[in-house]
Amino acid sequence: MAAAEKEIVYGRIPVPTWRWLGVNEVRVPEKVLREPPAARLVTIPAGETREFTVVTRGEAVSELHVEIGAGAELRLTRARLAPDGTQCADKVKATLSENARFVYTAVNLGGESVADLLDVDLVGDGSSADVAALYFADGRQKIDMNYIARQRGKNTDASLVVQGGLADEAEKIFRGTLDFVRGAVGSVGREREAVTLLSPNVVNRSAPLMLSGEAEVDGRHATSVGKLDEEKLYYLTSRGLSPADAKRLVVLAAAAPVLERVADVTLADEIRTFIERRLSDG
Amino acid sequence: MGDNILTIRGLHAGVEGKEILRGVDLSVGKGETHVLLGPNGSGKTTLMNVLMGHPRYEVYAGDAAFDGEELLALPTHERARRGLFLSFQTPEEIPGVTVENMLRTARQAITGKKAGVMAFRKELAAALETLKMDADWASRYLNVGFSGGEKKRTEILQLLMLKPKLALLDETDSGLDVDAVRVVSNGVKAFRTTENACLIITHNANILSALSVDGAHVLLDGRIVKSGGAELVEEIGTHGYAHFLGGER
Amino acid sequence: MAKQKTFIEDIERALYDVRGEDRPRYRSESGLTEEIVRDISERKHDPDWMTEMRLKALAVYNEISLPGWGPDLSALDMEKIATYVQPDAQMAGRWEDVPDEIRDTFDRLGIPEAEKESLAGVGAQYDSEVVYHSIQTSLTKQGVVYTDMETALREHEDLVRAHFMKLVPPKDHKFAALHGAVWSGGSFVYVPAGVEVKIPLQSYFRLNAPGAGQFEHTLIIVEKGASLHFIEGCSAPKYNVTNLHAGCVELYVKEGARLRYSTIENWSKNMMNLNTKRALVEKGGLIEWVSGSFGSRVSMLYPTSILSGEGARCEFTGVTFAGRGQHLDTGATVVHAAPRTSSVINTRSISKDGGVAVYRSGVKVTAGAKGAKCAVNCESLMLDDVSRSDTIPVMDVREDDADVGHEAKIGRISDEAIYYLTSRGIKEDEARAMIVRGFVEPIAKALPMEYAVEMNNLIDLELEGTRG
Repeated sequence: MAAAEKEIVYGRIPVPTWRWLGVNEVRVPEKVLREPPAARLVTIPAGETREFTVVTRGEAVSELHVEIGAGAELRLTRARLAPDGTQCADKVKATLSENARFVYTAVNLGGESVADLLDVDLVGDGSSADVAALYFADGRQKIDMNYIARQRGKNTDASLVVQGGLADEAEKIFRGTLDFVRGAVGSVGREREAVTLLSPNVVNRSAPLMLSGEAEVDGRHATSVGKLDEEKLYYLTSRGLSPADAKRLVVLAAAAPVLERVADVTLADEIRTFIERRLSDG
Repeated sequence: MGDNILTIRGLHAGVEGKEILRGVDLSVGKGETHVLLGPNGSGKTTLMNVLMGHPRYEVYAGDAAFDGEELLALPTHERARRGLFLSFQTPEEIPGVTVENMLRTARQAITGKKAGVMAFRKELAAALETLKMDADWASRYLNVGFSGGEKKRTEILQLLMLKPKLALLDETDSGLDVDAVRVVSNGVKAFRTTENACLIITHNANILSALSVDGAHVLLDGRIVKSGGAELVEEIGTHGYAHFLGGER
Repeated sequence: MAKQKTFIEDIERALYDVRGEDRPRYRSESGLTEEIVRDISERKHDPDWMTEMRLKALAVYNEISLPGWGPDLSALDMEKIATYVQPDAQMAGRWEDVPDEIRDTFDRLGIPEAEKESLAGVGAQYDSEVVYHSIQTSLTKQGVVYTDMETALREHEDLVRAHFMKLVPPKDHKFAALHGAVWSGGSFVYVPAGVEVKIPLQSYFRLNAPGAGQFEHTLIIVEKGASLHFIEGCSAPKYNVTNLHAGCVELYVKEGARLRYSTIENWSKNMMNLNTKRALVEKGGLIEWVSGSFGSRVSMLYPTSILSGEGARCEFTGVTFAGRGQHLDTGATVVHAAPRTSSVINTRSISKDGGVAVYRSGVKVTAGAKGAKCAVNCESLMLDDVSRSDTIPVMDVREDDADVGHEAKIGRISDEAIYYLTSRGIKEDEARAMIVRGFVEPIAKALPMEYAVEMNNLIDLELEGTRG
C-alpha cells in the first residue's frame, strides 16, 4: 500500500487511549469507501427465528443493520473468503429488543486489508448476544476488528469469543468492548480472545475493554497471546504426525468451537480447507 | 418442648413469591441427631436457608423457635451468635480472607470475647488434625481454589471451631469419596456432645454410621410426610420415596 | 447516610488537612512564561545546561496539546497555578533546624517518628523545596548518596546530567514538558554496585500552598547487583482552588539490581495529580512498583517499565480507591525489549459514591524479545450504582515466542458472600469490610507494614459511609 494513500476513519474504540498504541481508530483507504453502499436493514419480527448466512468471496464493502424484535432470534453467519489483494470493510449493527437473541458468527479469511466492525446494542431486558469470530491472516494481510457489546437492558447477556492465528507478516487488531450502561442490572458479559502467533514477524494488538457504569453486573475478560503449545505439538509428533500435520491439527482444533457454529457443512468444510491450505503454504 | 433446641411450626416459605415450603412442622431435641430425607427439589436446602436467614428466601407463615427464642425475625448473624450453624452445600469463595482470619473474626463475634492468640492457634491445630488437614490450610484464602472435598472439610472445620448449639449439615458428604466421608463423619462426631444437636441432609447412610440417629423426617413437596427414628433412614435406603410419592399424589 | 459520609471523610482527612500557614519566602507569578522559567532557574542557581533544558521544555510545552484521552482536565488553568513556591526555610540535616511551623506539619504526619523506627533515610519536601534530608552514616560510608536534587546537581552534576530527563524526555507529553520547565526539589539516590540497602529510604512530599504546583524530580540509580527500597509519600491540605502535581520519577536499575518503589498517594481532593514515573531495567534487574492511589481529584498515573536487558523483570502491584468527586485514571505500561523479560501486573480498583476508577495499561513486546512473558490481572469492585469502573488495556505483541495473558473482572460484592459470612456470626457491615479488605489483600501484602495498616484504615473509614 502506498504510504501517501488517504485513509478515512471507519470506526473508533469507545474510549481512546495512548496514541502510540495505534488502536484508537479503524482506518480504511479512502478509495475503498469511494462508493459506500447504502446500509441494508433487516428486521426480525417479534417472536420469529431467522437464520442467514452471508458469504463474500471478493472485494466487499457492506453495512448491515439488524433489528431483532421482542423474543425474536437471529442467527447470522458472515464468512469472508477473500482472494489475495482485495480490500474489504464491513459494518454490522444489531439492536436487540426484549428477550431478543443474536447469534453471530464471523469468519475472516483472506484479503489484503480487512476492517470488520460489529456494534451490538442490547437495549431490551433479557436480550442476549452470542458472538464468535474466527480469523486467520498471513502474508502481509491486515485485519482490523472493532467489536462492541453495549449492555443497556436488565439481565442482558453478552459473550464475545475471538479465535485467531497470524502467520508471516500479518497484522491484526482486535478491540472488544463490553459496555455495561447504568441500569443494566443483573447483566453478564464475557469476552475471551486467543491468538496463536505462527511466525516471528507478526504484529498482534488486542484491546479488551470493559466499561461499567452499573455495579450489579458481572463482567470478565481474558486474553491470551502466544505461540503454539509446544507440549501439544510434541505429544502429537510422538504419535507419528509430522510437525506440519501436528501444527495444522492444533490450529484447526483451536478454530473448532467457532467452526462448529457454521451450520452449512459445505461452508464449514470450505473454511477448514482454506485454513489448511494456508498452513501448508507456510 | 422445653427440651427442644428447634421447633418449627407451620412454616410456609419460598423465593420471589413461589412457595416451596408448604407447612413444615419439625422438632429437634437438645443433644439429638436428626436426619432430613427427601428427593431433590423437595425443599430441604430451602428449609436450611430459611432457618439461617438467606436474604432471598421469604417466610409467608409459621414460626421457628430456636432454644426457646423466635428465630425467623433475627438477622443472619444474630442467628449464628445464638448458636445456629449451616454447613453449606456450595460454600462461597472469599478471596483475600484467610480461613484463620475468618474463624477468628467469627469466633470473636459469637463469643463476644477476643480469643487469645496462643489458645486459639492450639485449638485450630487440633481441629485441623481431627480433619486430617495440613497446618497451612488456615492461611489459605477461604474456599478459593478448594476442591469440593476441601470445601466440605473447611465447613466442618468451622463447625468444630465455632461450636454451635445446632448444626445444619446440608449434604456435607455429597461428592466425597469413602475416605473423605469418614473424615467428615469423624469431624461431626468430634463436634457432637450431649449439649448440642445436628440436623443432617444426606443421601448417603455412610456419614451416619459414626453417629447415633435420634430422629428422621421425610420432606416431600414442601411438607414433612413422615417422622420416625433411625429405621426410617434404612427404609428409604431400600425402598426410596416411591411409597410416599404414591401416597401423596 | 449522607451526613455520616461527610463526617467520616472529615475525620479521615483531618490529619492531612491541617494547613500550615501559607507564608512562603518567595512565590512565583501564576502562569507560565519564559520570564518565570528564567527566574526559577536563576533562583535555583542552575548550571547553564539546565537553564537551557528548562527553556527547551517550555517551548515543547507551548507546542504540544493536552492528551486526547483520559480524564477531563479543564479544571486545570495554568494561568492560575504558581509553579514555584519557596518555603521560608533552609535545607536542614536535623529536624530541630527545620522551622517550627513546617516541622509541626511533618510531626503530625509522623515522618520524624517513622525515621527513628523504620527508615534508613528521609527526605521531606515542603511546596517547591526540600527542607530536610538525612541518611544513616553507615550507608554514606558505603557510598550511598541520598540527597535533594539541587544538592545532587551541584555535587554530582555529571551523573545528574547523564540521566536527568533522559528516560522521560520533555516531549513525552505536555506535563513532562511542564515538569522540565519548572521542576524543583525531589530526591536523588545513588546506590553503588553491590550495596544492599536493607532499610527503606523515604521521601515525603507536602504541598501546602493553595493554587500552587509541585514538580519534584526523583532520580534513582541502583548500580549493578545493588538493591534498594524507596518509599514515596504525598499529601496536601484541601483548598478550594486547584493544585497541580506534575512530578517526574526516573529510575535506573542496572544489571542484576533490584529496586522496589512504593507510593501511597493521598493528595487532597482538589489536586490534579499528573505524575510521570519510568524505570529502565537492565539485564537480570528487577523493578517492583507498589502503588496506592487514594487521593486527588484527578489522577493520571501509569508507571512505565522498560525492560531493556535480557531477563529483566517488572512486578507492578496497584490499588486505586475512587470516592466522590474523584476520577482516578491509573495503571501501568511495560515494554518488553529484550529476550526472556517478564512482567506481572496485578491491580485492584474500588469505586464508590460517584467516583470513577479507570485501569489503563499498555504492554508491548518488541520483535526479538524471545521468551517474554507477561501476566496481567485486574479486578474492579463497584460499591454502588452511581460510580464508574473502566478497564482499558492494550497489548501489542510483535514476537511469536511470547506469552501474554490478560484477565480482568468487574463486579460488586455478592449477596451470597455476605450471607455466608453473616451465617458465621459476622455482622453485615463487618462482612462487607472483610470482603473489601480481602479484595485488596494481594496489594496490602506488598506494602510496607505501616502502610498496609494505613490502607486498611482508609478503607474502613471510606466504607463507613456506604453502610446501611
